[in-house]
Amino acid sequence: MRTIVIRAALLSLASCARLFAAAPLPAEHLTLTSMPPDSPHRIYVLDEAFFNEIDARVHLFDGDTYRRLGQIDIGFTPAFNLSPDGKTSVAATTYFSRGSRGTRTDVVEFTDNATLKTTHEIVLPSKRAMTLPTIFTLGFSADSRFLYVSYVTPAASFGVLDPAKYTVIDEIDTAGCVLVIPSGPNRVSSICESGNLLTVTLDAQGHEASRAFSEVFFDADRDPIFAQGVPETNGYAFISFLGEVHEVDFSGAQPVIRKPWPLLAAADKAGHWRPGGYQVGAIHRHLNRLYVPMHQGGEGSHKDGGTEIWVYDLSSHQRVARWPLAALKVSGVLAIQVSQDDAPLLFAADDHSDLAVFDALTGKLRHVEKQMGQTPWLILNN
Amino acid sequence: MRSIDRLFEKSSRALAQRTSRRSLLAALGQVLTGAALIPLLPIDRSARAGEAPATPANPHAKAAKPATDDPKSCDYWKYCAVDGFLCACCGGSSNSCPPGTAPSPITWIGTCHNPGDDRDYIVSYNDCCGKVSCGNCECNRNEREKPMYRPSRNNDLNWCMANADSNYHCSVSVILGVAEK
Repeated sequence: MRTIVIRAALLSLASCARLFAAAPLPAEHLTLTSMPPDSPHRIYVLDEAFFNEIDARVHLFDGDTYRRLGQIDIGFTPAFNLSPDGKTSVAATTYFSRGSRGTRTDVVEFTDNATLKTTHEIVLPSKRAMTLPTIFTLGFSADSRFLYVSYVTPAASFGVLDPAKYTVIDEIDTAGCVLVIPSGPNRVSSICESGNLLTVTLDAQGHEASRAFSEVFFDADRDPIFAQGVPETNGYAFISFLGEVHEVDFSGAQPVIRKPWPLLAAADKAGHWRPGGYQVGAIHRHLNRLYVPMHQGGEGSHKDGGTEIWVYDLSSHQRVARWPLAALKVSGVLAIQVSQDDAPLLFAADDHSDLAVFDALTGKLRHVEKQMGQTPWLILNN
Repeated sequence: MRSIDRLFEKSSRALAQRTSRRSLLAALGQVLTGAALIPLLPIDRSARAGEAPATPANPHAKAAKPATDDPKSCDYWKYCAVDGFLCACCGGSSNSCPPGTAPSPITWIGTCHNPGDDRDYIVSYNDCCGKVSCGNCECNRNEREKPMYRPSRNNDLNWCMANADSNYHCSVSVILGVAEK
């Protein structure tokens, strides 16, 4: 009996102690989170928000902490890019005066990446190219003097903008050729229907000084290149539907087109392997490695997500790794990006809207961020 | 071509056997030889000779599924290069825009094969405009679709671009005529 009494006393003491310990939570202060310092592992994920397409946004994400850092709102069928110093985001977009309808306003908006506040805008003529995300619908000259925006009405042209004075300088006709591929301080190339490039050189004020066409280097009927390029040290690699890599050096006065090389060996062709998706490659410039999402498909499968990521050495043109995704529960990869540091991360957005983070050296899966928006179709970084 | 035929055969068999609507065919498939079975299945063979057929590599890839006559299905033969939302699921039909929207006057054209009469048809893909994207029956098929530097064959562009209200709502596919071989 005595034991029981002692036990009861101890128990009641314990409950009192618990009550004591459960002091009320302190009052909180509402604060505003600041952006962390920039990092090579920060990415900008463009979510087209295809199911309610007037509401696209960019999600900022950190590949080390797996934290979502914030959001930039970018409207309807937007173009998006970063300034050469990485400090500013630019979006060319369209708003309607009554939300989903009403007067159309095309505008380029500038956002400070240190605060995520939109700071400036340039109102455009209502001609902006309304298309799926690619880095070639909006881009800065290398020295940030000019900003170029692609127009399609469907007549093709581009706008030259002043990103310091926030004004429109000129519109330059590019009939038969679309998109803006900036190079150097004053050159803009466009991809032409006939399988070549048009390069317009500007004068110091941003008006056309001259134009020239490259030789034809791809067949738009038989094996078109994707309307996007993978940035590399002196230009871009353009990948074709059937897996040819066309590297173009944009460092000189006119683009220099290198001899194409194949992603596919005979056995790969027999297995119907192809590149596909909305952002079909990423290059680590120092490692000289190209990452491509690949799938088994055929005619019309060029927007299918990759079931594997294939890794190539850009010097030898040899495949150095092949990373299957199904066992990792990563679905078809639609967009891919790699950080440029010495401990690189590979980011892959899949057709279930998840974002996978890999070690870009080994292919080891580090993290899957579920539901990175609604339709993440383009990933940018510095 | 033999390997392509084998691929067709394999996917046709698998599909027929897991699709309840085709239970009769599945039962037949147990007794018929493979070669005899294939012509019974309405497979879209419009892929060009020498080209491998698309495979369902992801949930958005619809190209390898059997064509149907259901205008609310992405597998309907007329939708062979529709990338968007089917107007038939949004208050319209396969060739009619939903109430309150406006058809796009500019468009692009493509060729789709109708397995019902074994003819190729030229179709006009129009967008219906002026309301926010419908969000029902997403369909992403891209047979013979080309990148936007070939706009007359491109489905990434918003073809509502020249409308007074250029918001994209949904897509239709309108038969223009039989394609000459």
